[in-house]
Amino acid sequence: MEGKKNIPVITIIKDGPLKVSGDFTLLKENRFPLESGSEVWLCRCGKSSRKPFCDGSHKK
Amino acid sequence: MDSGERKYKNKEITVYWKPSSCIHASACTNELPEVFNPDERPWVKMEGSNTSKIIDVVDKCPVDALTWKWNDESKNKEVGSEHSNHIKNRRKALLEKDNLDPKQDTAIDIMDDGPFVVNGGFLLERENGSRSKFSGTVSLCRCGASKLKPFCDGSHRSINFKSK
Repeated sequence: MEGKKNIPVITIIKDGPLKVSGDFTLLKENRFPLESGSEVWLCRCGKSSRKPFCDGSHKK
Repeated sequence: MDSGERKYKNKEITVYWKPSSCIHASACTNELPEVFNPDERPWVKMEGSNTSKIIDVVDKCPVDALTWKWNDESKNKEVGSEHSNHIKNRRKALLEKDNLDPKQDTAIDIMDDGPFVVNGGFLLERENGSRSKFSGTVSLCRCGASKLKPFCDGSHRSINFKSK
């Protein structure tokens, strides 16, 4: 059972986005998978123009 | 699944059987007995016919006793209302429940105007490199206003965060 899937790691980048790596599914509000993971960067400053992903806007 | 519900798969689709809804209209057993035969076990044999015939017949079920979906999730997005018994049109809850095996998959739900809601196990790595394990449901701030970062504290409402 264990080891088949890589447990996702959500890394909090200081003053930056969330980095998500491992096996996960990203779901849009309608619950359809947007992406099934290996690695994504998710906006957590609220300013990205390509939400839910980070576009570097937190630096501005 | 509970209450005797079953699902049957071929390579392309999954058919869901919800016995509590069956009104014995017999659309399935009359039209495609090679697949739907209540005298046999399992009573649904996906190998008895091809995918398009199975879809045709499942769509004729007058209730939600038989429903279906594509196994390729991206194709489910394209399905329209003409497929009356696609789970999207009959049993929307299955879209949520069944896309994911809770034991296997961690899902990150992106809430409109709200946080990321993580369901399932994950490791949270802090700025200092320490890691802690979480399971269940955890909401992570994505509006930038939470006082409990990285967690959501509901501040997205007070700042009127718009995610679109």
